[in-house]
Amino acid sequence: MTDHIVVAAAVENPLGFVPVEFALSLVTFGILFFLIWKFVAPRFEQTFAERTQAIEGGIAAAESKQAEADAKLAELEKQLGDARHEAARIREEAREQGARIVAEMRETAQAESSRIVEHGKAQIEAERQQAITSLRAEVGTLATGLAGRIVGESLEDEARQSRVVERFLTDLEAQNGTTTGSVN
Amino acid sequence: MTMKTGITMAAEGEGYVAPGPASFDFSEVPLFELGGLAVTKPMVQLVLGAVIVFAFFYAAFRRASIVPGRLQFAGEAAYGMVRNSIGRDIIGSKDFAKFVPYLVALFFFLLINNAFASIPAIQFPTFSRASMAYALAGLSWVIYNGVGIHKHGLIGYLKLQSVPSGVSPVMYPLLVPLEFFSNILVRPATLALRLFANMFAGHLLLILFSTGGLFLIEYGGIGYVAGPLAWVLAIAISFLELLVQFLQAYVFTLLNAMYISGALADEH
Amino acid sequence: MDGNLNMIGYGLAAIGPGVGIGLIFAAYISGVARQPEAQGRLQSIAILGFALAEALAIIGIALAFVL
Repeated sequence: MTDHIVVAAAVENPLGFVPVEFALSLVTFGILFFLIWKFVAPRFEQTFAERTQAIEGGIAAAESKQAEADAKLAELEKQLGDARHEAARIREEAREQGARIVAEMRETAQAESSRIVEHGKAQIEAERQQAITSLRAEVGTLATGLAGRIVGESLEDEARQSRVVERFLTDLEAQNGTTTGSVN
Repeated sequence: MTMKTGITMAAEGEGYVAPGPASFDFSEVPLFELGGLAVTKPMVQLVLGAVIVFAFFYAAFRRASIVPGRLQFAGEAAYGMVRNSIGRDIIGSKDFAKFVPYLVALFFFLLINNAFASIPAIQFPTFSRASMAYALAGLSWVIYNGVGIHKHGLIGYLKLQSVPSGVSPVMYPLLVPLEFFSNILVRPATLALRLFANMFAGHLLLILFSTGGLFLIEYGGIGYVAGPLAWVLAIAISFLELLVQFLQAYVFTLLNAMYISGALADEH
Repeated sequence: MDGNLNMIGYGLAAIGPGVGIGLIFAAYISGVARQPEAQGRLQSIAILGFALAEALAIIGIALAFVL
């Protein structure tokens, strides 16, 4: 052991305390710590916080945009549904209206046609009556003239003439009663 | 005994000088002097490590924007890993925020300085100098105790750390000193020594296999087979060391977070 | 061959923590295999147990150099 101690004096014990190195280590590390604490850590924390904020802000913005888009889509779909509904309603209405118009027009045309027919009938009747009346007068005159000439008897006397014609016509009518009815 | 014989043998030009604690002693070969103070390689590395860490983070966050560039993305991934998986998960989301700069600085400072062991032309783990590890462990001891005392008061904090809950008071005489010893005294020591020992042993192993391989090849005979084999092993160990370097930085930071979280706990 | 008896002592002392750390991580792995969602909680407990067990090995290495 004594031998060893002598050697240890020559060669430094590796666990020996060297004040210079101790102090240097302390000071160097102290300065490094100070610089890291002063310059590096705040920058890192700041960047980190900013990034977190940026990401969170981005997510929030994206979420609000998404919600907005969803709302808009729902609204559009609702509008589309309304429009479809409306279109169906209008189509239905139009169909109804069309049917009504057609029916109305048919009715009008019917009425018009029957009116025209009616009018025509009335006119025909009137004209027939007129024809009958004028014929009656004409036939009377002609017949009287003709008969006078044939008979040679003067039929100039108004009263007698009229009586003869009336009688003739009445006979005629009585004779042709059925024929006249079928014409009408 | 060891080194003395080793040195004499080396002087005689025969035999193999096994690497030992002397491989980690730069006090005889300072790089330069600064105000009468010998500046050694580990000291320069320590400062360089801090500069690299700060330069990386400053460059990453100088023009921080919401949509990160490539460098900013790397910086955020690195910062976020410590912030979330060490800070937030261990300390809890309530009050982890004020410890994040400490944890981030600690983790990357350790990581870079450990990685120096594998970076060509440097190839020396800074924290295989025990005093440097002592400093960080001492700082963490001050921080977690300070945080605990600030929250619970001195008496409340000591009670929190040394009186175990859920144990009958009969056991207190046995457990209270043990808990106090374990939570207040052993923690910083193990924190520093774990880092130191891992870095020290890993580097020692690498030196051993590299120089040993060279010696064997020069020795000739069976050495022509064994020497290259040793170098292959050295390469394999280098990859293992990369893992250990990361793991030690991670564990150191994680334990810091746990100690802080334990000091902040209401009742455990 | 030259060396230091302390180092043999340390090698012996490291057996215990080595076994302990192995047990801790074995339990951690099987715990995670059974309940993968509990990994976060188990991890911190496992690391804490690992730190406590390794403390013994670390005390050993310290004593090996100091004594």
